[in-house]
Order: sequence, then C-alpha cells, then structure tokens
Amino acid sequence: MSQKIKDNSEGWQSGMARSITFIVTKDCQLACKYCYLVGKNTKERMDWKIAKEAIDYILDREREFPEESVAWEFIGGEPFLEIELIDKICDYLKKEMYRRDHHWFNSYRFSFSTNGINYHEDKVQNFIKKNYNHLSIGITIDGTELKHDLNRVYKHSEKGSYKDVVKNIPLWLKQFPGAATKVTISSTDIPYIKDSVLHLYNLGIKEVNINCVFEDVWEENDDVDFENQLIELADNIIDNGYYKEYACSFFSEFIGKPMDKELDNQNWCGAGKMLSIDAAGNFYPCTRFAQYSLRDKPAWIIGNVRDGIDQNKLRPFLTLDRTTQSSDECINCEVASGCAWCQGENYDAADTHTIYQRSTAICKMHKARVRANNYYWNKLYRKLEMEGMKEEYERQKTKVKESIC
Amino acid sequence: MLTHLIILLDDTSPSYCHYDVTLKERRLIGLDDLKSGILFAMKENLNIQFVYPSYELPEEYVEAIESIDHTKIKPDSQSDEADVLILSDWKEVITDIAYNSTCIIRASRTELLDNRKQLKALMSKISRLNIAITDVDIFSDNDIDSYKNLLSCIADDVYAIIKTGKSLQVNLLTDLMMLDEMNNCNAGVNNITLAPNGRFYLCPAFYYNNSQDEVGDLRTGLKIKNQQLLRLDHAPICRNCDAFQCKRCIWLNGKLTLDRNTPSHQQCVIAHLERNSSCDLLEKLNRNGVKINNTHKIIKKQELDPFNIVNRWK
Amino acid sequence: MEMTKIVGQVTPEERDEIQKLFERKNGLTELAKILTADNEELYQKLVKDMGETGTKFQQWWDTKAKQYGWESHPKGNWEINFQTCEITLVVNEA
Repeated sequence: MSQKIKDNSEGWQSGMARSITFIVTKDCQLACKYCYLVGKNTKERMDWKIAKEAIDYILDREREFPEESVAWEFIGGEPFLEIELIDKICDYLKKEMYRRDHHWFNSYRFSFSTNGINYHEDKVQNFIKKNYNHLSIGITIDGTELKHDLNRVYKHSEKGSYKDVVKNIPLWLKQFPGAATKVTISSTDIPYIKDSVLHLYNLGIKEVNINCVFEDVWEENDDVDFENQLIELADNIIDNGYYKEYACSFFSEFIGKPMDKELDNQNWCGAGKMLSIDAAGNFYPCTRFAQYSLRDKPAWIIGNVRDGIDQNKLRPFLTLDRTTQSSDECINCEVASGCAWCQGENYDAADTHTIYQRSTAICKMHKARVRANNYYWNKLYRKLEMEGMKEEYERQKTKVKESIC
Repeated sequence: MLTHLIILLDDTSPSYCHYDVTLKERRLIGLDDLKSGILFAMKENLNIQFVYPSYELPEEYVEAIESIDHTKIKPDSQSDEADVLILSDWKEVITDIAYNSTCIIRASRTELLDNRKQLKALMSKISRLNIAITDVDIFSDNDIDSYKNLLSCIADDVYAIIKTGKSLQVNLLTDLMMLDEMNNCNAGVNNITLAPNGRFYLCPAFYYNNSQDEVGDLRTGLKIKNQQLLRLDHAPICRNCDAFQCKRCIWLNGKLTLDRNTPSHQQCVIAHLERNSSCDLLEKLNRNGVKINNTHKIIKKQELDPFNIVNRWK
Repeated sequence: MEMTKIVGQVTPEERDEIQKLFERKNGLTELAKILTADNEELYQKLVKDMGETGTKFQQWWDTKAKQYGWESHPKGNWEINFQTCEITLVVNEA
C-alpha cells in the first residue's frame, strides 16, 4: 500500500501561523479605484540587502517568534513584479531556516495576493514549480467583466484588466484546485454582486471570499440594494444547488447574533501579531499601518531592521479587545457577530492617534448582510428538510473562513 | 468629571511633572485670557491650580488670581504663600522650607541617588514630597536593581523620619498605603490645562511638546476627542492593576507606545517596583509599632509588568 | 474509476506527528532543488536528513496501519485528511 497526504492547505494551521509580510514594491500595473494604498509609487522597491537584514533579524530571534508555523507573505503593489527578488528571498529563507535548524523549516508557506496579470510568465511559473508544495496564491478577480473592469483598471490607460486576468484562471486552478479568490465590494459594485459571484463559480472558483470595504464610502440606500443583491444571490445558490460544492463568505451561520461582553471580547484583527517590512527596512504591525496605506495618519512604525522591534509600540495591539474599542451601540448590538473591522482603517479614521476607536462606517451594510444571511439559512434549511438532506449537509458542508483583508 | 483647571501663568512656569519646559522666552498669559479662564472654572465648578513663573506677577494679575479660591504652585524662588513648591536646585532645598509645605522635586534616578543627603534633610522638614522622575523613558530592565536600591534608600530615610514621630508622605512610597483604588493623574478626565496661549490642553506636557495638540480654547470651549480613552476603564493594562499610586501618565503613554491608553513597559515596571517598596516599608513600620491606617492590603508581586498578564496573544 | 472509503481515524497527536514529517519531507525536497554539492556541509546534512525523514515517514504509516488494522487493497492507497484526522482508502481500478 502506498500512502498519500490529502492536500488541504486551505486550512493550513487554522490561522495560528505567524504572518511576516515583505512589501516588495509599491508599484502595480493597475490603479484599482477602491485600492486603499494611497501612496503607491514606482520608486520604493525593496532591495536584497534590506530583505536579507530583515530575514536575519527574524531568524536570529527564534524565541521571540515562537509560533509553530510561519506564512512568509509577499505584497505590493503587485508582488510578482518583483519575482526575481522574491525568488532570492525564498531560496535564502529555505537555506537559512534549514541551516539554523529553525523550527519553521517544518511548517512554512510562501503566500501571495496577486492581480494575476503576469501569472503565466516563465519567471513566475518557474518559481511556482520550484516552491509548489509551500505556496498559497490568491488571484483577485472581482467577478464579471463589467464588474471587474469597473474598478480594476490599468493605471495609465484606465483600460479594464479582466481579459488579462481571466486568461490565467484555468492555469491557476489547474495548479491550485482549491484556490479561493478575494472580492472587494464598494458602493458602485453593489448592482453586480450576484452576477459576479455566480460568474466566479462558473470559472471554477469554488471559494469566493468577499467583503465590503471598511472605508466610509457608502451612499444612501446602498444597504437596501446590497440586501436585495444578496437575496437574489441566495436564491441562485440554493435553487441551483451551488451550496453543495461552492462557498461564498457572505453567508455564514455564525453572524448576526449578539455577543457577550466578556466571553466574546477578542479583537477581530490580527494586527500586532503580524509583521510587515517595507523597502526602507521599517517594521509595521500590519501593512495597513505603512504610510502608503494611510490617508490621514502618520505611519505606525514599530522598529526597523537595524534597531529591531520596539515592543512598547506593539503593546496597544496586543492588549486590544473588542469592547474597549467599541461604542455602546456596537457592544449592545443585537446582530454584532461577524461585524468586522480593519485595525488600520480604524486608526486612519479615528479622531485621535489611536487604534482604540472602532470605525462604524460598515454598520448598515453589516445589518443588510445579516438580514440576507438569515434569509439564506432559513430558505436553505427548509429546502434540505423537505428533501431529507439536512443531516447529510450538516456533515459535509463547506467551511468558509472569514477573510477580511 | 472635570474637577480641576490648571492654569500655566507663563510659558516659563516650571514643570511639576515628567515633562520638560521647552519654551525659554517669558510669555505671560493675557489678562483677558486669565480672567476668562477663571470665569470658565467658576461656571464649570472647577478648582484652579495656578502654576507661577519665577518672577513677580503684575498687580492686575495678582488681583485677578485672588478673586477666586485656588492653589498656588510656585517655583522655590517665589515661595511666598505657595501651597505647593517646585524645587529647582539641590543646594537650595533645605533652606527656608516651612514644615507643612508640599514640595515637588523633579530629578533623574541618578540625581536622586547622588543627592540622598539633601533629600533626607528635605523630607525631615516638610509634610509631603512628590518626586517626579524625569528619565522614565530611558529606563530599561537593566535598571531594575538600581531603582530598587534607590527606593530602598529613600524608604530607609522615610522610616527613620516617621519613627521620630513626624508625619511624612512621599508619593512613590506612602501614597499606596492610603489608597484602595487608582489615584492616577487623570489628565483630560479630572483636570485640564489652560496654557498662556489661551488654549486648553490635556496637561502641560502636551502644550510644551506640540502646541497644536490642543483640546479647545476659551472662546469655543473644550473639545476632548475620544475622552473615554483617557479613562481607566478604557485602559486594558491598567484597569485591573493595583499599583494605585501610578500616575498612569497619558503623555508618556502616547510618547512611548503611541496610544494614550496604553502604558509603556517602563512605566509599569517602575510603578511595580514602587509598589513592592511600599509594601516593604509598610511591613517595616508595622513591625516596629508605627500604625498606618492603610485600607488596602499590599502583597508583593514578582510580575512587574501587568502587560504580561493582559497580553491577549501570548 | 476511483473509489474512496473512510477506514479509520488517528488522534490529533498522531496527526501532528505525520503532518510535521510531511511538511519536513516537502521542505527537504524543495531545498534539494536549490542546494548544490559545493555547499558541502549543508548538502551532506540534507542528504542524511532526507533519508532519515523518509524512513520515519514510512514507519509512521506502517506502525499506525498495524496498530489500527486499516482496511487495504492491492490497487489502493491510504490518505490522511489533516483537518479531520480521517484515513481514507482510495482505490484506483483504472
């Protein structure tokens, strides 16, 4: 008998890994209209010296990074624009983790969030072949051509990028059959939500992680339109049986319930347990705290590759809980569970220099989502009961993870 | 609830706390602003603490100040009628100090140790001493033993003075014995500062470090954003802590951790070393028959930084 | 045609053992692609390690199969699902 390991990297370490992000470039081929990176540019590219210093700093301090696993993440801009640097970083990481007998050699991933435009190129493909067993690659495609091209446009021509991305989807799914995509919803995208999710399913993407932006962009009646779109999507998913194999993160049984002040008091966001490094060698609690991500606030720098991490500047993150940063309205909200936030956006939108003021721009959209979500589960469970399939479904249902950033 | 208004009468009014006075040129608060400040305090039912400069005030200012009940915080060069005296020079500290005075001394840890004799002489003449450590931000774990030693030396002197029957309070060592809840500075919650430019600040430190960091002015009133984050119940590390004597300085918090509700490692360790020294001193006093009416039982702690207990990710 | 059947389950601790070995095996395989013999010290370490890890990996399956008595098939192989700890027999009749 031979043995195999079922590839289930989706659930890899259930979010318990330390995430270390290299901001390898602040450049991107696209200028997406909803992109939170306000300071993108072509100049700030990480050089090898900084990358190596950062790696040496981190690997030299094994005791300060005790998590069993690590996700080495590469972000931009568009990270694959710097594939040669990334390849060099990954080779060095593999050699160094091994040479030092570092515990992370037994549990690491290289993770990418890409626009997918140069996914097919030889340099990228050679990298994928070389590191295949340790890769997690997400390509962002927003749905139908219309919806995608509404926001995801080239920076100079403002031409939509859909065609250049969608041609790479079959190759991506062949290489990573369980891959998921991330969709971001802004005000103008609302009318296209249902068609977009169904389109992604039809492309073969079985997991669609989708969320509304956290910024204060919502117009009057957006919540009503959003709810209607989700209800139409719910009808389609249920009537056409997509729920058996496909997942959409909008629908979750765990959202829309009151939350206990003490038992459910954890922070939503992992900022502070992540570490981001930029081209200048500065450390951040998350990429969203780097200057190119912030509209109104100064960067929240927690150290650099030369002087190390100033633990004092991490203390607010590591002691942050849900209720201390929330208003009474949020604490007492009847549908609080699943209402997400981004610590970086909270900081950027706060009235003072703090991460302890929760932005509530998303409130009405969350409430609309909860109403549609209730509809979805009531309808689905009734159907399953009628068909005598409820128990079977419970046993096999696709688990969807909440993914917000 | 606001209870106190601190009025800095001049840009050169001396510091009485951790911050440094960064302005060197005299600038007296405008007389109209002074009067408006007093009026504001009367209407808001606030006690006023005037922080005097080291020169005599014009007659019309004296007249305005005396129109309301208040506390005078004065530099030692202007000690007449001072309720609280800010000492500036170790050589001067033992002359002409009235027995019932409350004094403030600002010093680094090294300065305190180097001037132990003067410190003891001072403590033997006054009823209360507030020590403001000026180098909290550069305290490191390598300094734990030396700070412990410094506190132990001061505690020995305090013990010797109290043993003679004299009453003496020293903020770092005896406040905790009398407290059964946090007694923090509470800047922005219980007190607010009016600066010589006519604008309000959470405390003088914010004025001297960035005069743009105001929280309103006399014309438009107070506008303290995120005031809840200045309160104890919104400070996860502090709200269950029992180092009640800690000043929980929101200015140092912002400087060192970037968030005003989060104390630095330094501030926590220093407060807990003081807490443990208070415990030792209280035990010694009790052992030797000196009765202290403490309502709160102090038990020594090994863990000097409550962050290590509160850290939600460890 | 492929047929699958759940034939057993291991404990989370046993799952952790094989997951660690699996991850290490993959790590060594991908390291081998970039390491050359001129980096002699690391190369020798790698060669030795690949042998040892491979042996431990096989031993785990042999021991557990014996311990739990999992159903087998001449044209089949076992798979482990790291999330559920389930062991599946996969038979390929093609």
